[in-house]
Amino acid sequence: MRFDRHTAISSAIDDLSARLGTKSEDVATIEVVEVDFPDMALGAPVSGEVAGQMMVTGWRIILSANGKQFEYRASDSQIRLVRFEGKNLVIKG
Amino acid sequence: MKQENLLTNILIVVVAVTLAGVLGQIRRWNAEIKVEKSVQTSVTSSGQRKGPELLVKFKDGVSEDQIRTLLFSKNDVIEDVIETVSGLFSIDDLDDENPEAVAERYRSFSDLVEYAEPITEIRISSVFPEDSTPSDPLFPKQWHLNNSSGNGDIRALTAWNRTHDSENIVVAVLDTGVDYNHPDLSNNIWERPSSIPAYFDTELGAIDDRFGFNAIRNDADPMDENGHGTHVAGIIGAEGDNGIGITGINWEVQILPLKFMGANGSGTTKDAIEAINYAIERKRRGVNIRVINASWGSGVYSRALEDVIRSAAAEGILFVAAAGNSSSDNDRIPHYPSNYRLPNVISVAATDESDNLAGFSSYGGKSVHISAPGRNILSTWLGGEYKEASGTSMAAPQVAGIAALILSLDSDMGLIELKETLLKSHDPNPSFSGKLLNAGRISAAKALGE
Repeated sequence: MRFDRHTAISSAIDDLSARLGTKSEDVATIEVVEVDFPDMALGAPVSGEVAGQMMVTGWRIILSANGKQFEYRASDSQIRLVRFEGKNLVIKG
Repeated sequence: MKQENLLTNILIVVVAVTLAGVLGQIRRWNAEIKVEKSVQTSVTSSGQRKGPELLVKFKDGVSEDQIRTLLFSKNDVIEDVIETVSGLFSIDDLDDENPEAVAERYRSFSDLVEYAEPITEIRISSVFPEDSTPSDPLFPKQWHLNNSSGNGDIRALTAWNRTHDSENIVVAVLDTGVDYNHPDLSNNIWERPSSIPAYFDTELGAIDDRFGFNAIRNDADPMDENGHGTHVAGIIGAEGDNGIGITGINWEVQILPLKFMGANGSGTTKDAIEAINYAIERKRRGVNIRVINASWGSGVYSRALEDVIRSAAAEGILFVAAAGNSSSDNDRIPHYPSNYRLPNVISVAATDESDNLAGFSSYGGKSVHISAPGRNILSTWLGGEYKEASGTSMAAPQVAGIAALILSLDSDMGLIELKETLLKSHDPNPSFSGKLLNAGRISAAKALGE
């Protein structure tokens, strides 16, 4: 699956609402910034993961729900949730 | 002796001497007819020169007989006719006198000679075309090889005067696989020779590894699904001078794809170990794997990964690793595998078109060995495409590629000497002092003996 800015944001919102058991309407988009991530794990490797050391342009997506903020990182080929309950997670890709 | 007999004897001697002279000249003329078509003159390792010493251009209107008479008087012969310049000859002085002195004597015949100059230096590189620019149409965009608008390139054109082909050297690309059907790579992909048996693993059984290994699926298909490994492979060895796309640092080389990272460009330490283990087994079976390129990493130390890379060192395999893109000091925050202190590991930082350390590049005065171009590097991509990419992923294969060039000139060079040669082959940059073990950017020209 390929992502653009819009589909990356909507996928992140869908994931967070499902993960927290809230409605997607209750998830607020705080910030979406285009960034160059340092590697192909978008700088958020999961346990035991090594990644190609190529810069990847994507989006840092900050969402808010239940009074907390959550960071997603997305490129055109994957979406990751950063440090969720202490762990990085690959959401899609 | 009667006077009549004396005159007869003198006549015989004169005839004999004349005949000998004529025969000698005929031999010279024959030699002239058999001139070499290309000037293959070389300087031997002892510095002695063989072959023609001079280039002499005779004036328009000077006849062939006049030239031969002049040469004969000086015990010289024509070694070659430079057809494209009327009256220009390379001349061999059979007495092997000082070329400058001989040239000066020719210049003294100013009515015949337009100019004469000694062939002061002809290197081994003369066996290569004078213009080493490849025909690949995207070559002008490969600034890392030859930056026409600045500096910071690895000075490939100069290096290619020595060699650009490493057809007997196998460089393993330990990555996302390689698009082995890419038209700019397909001719430079390793193929297992029939003399080497298919890979056999105790657990996996026999794998018909025709052109690489896939450690994710444990099969023989290392096709790239991401593009990263294809990009790395192109930097090392996209086919050069083939009239399409780009050129690699090596115009000819054997790329061995070792796939352990998947479609999103990442993988596991365990699969990396499996792939390195495969490379070691293949080396023991006779595949001439001299270099593994590792354009990947993480911040997590793995003793098992370190051990298998050490095993590769024992097989004489150089392991070139990306230093990482965290803009951080690897002395304080280690990045692996580049931070393993092993005799075969070279850690590579990235530079930009201005020959500065790229902003994203990690560094380390005690842990990062050298730098190489790694920003906006054009190389091969999936589907026969080309793409610019940035990262120490793009810097490491520059060093791996140069290693192959070095080995193509000295296939017996050992691992330690190879590593030392690479690390001393840099164009110094004082601003890298304290940030790299060798404060400079690698130079292919220096690596090949400039």
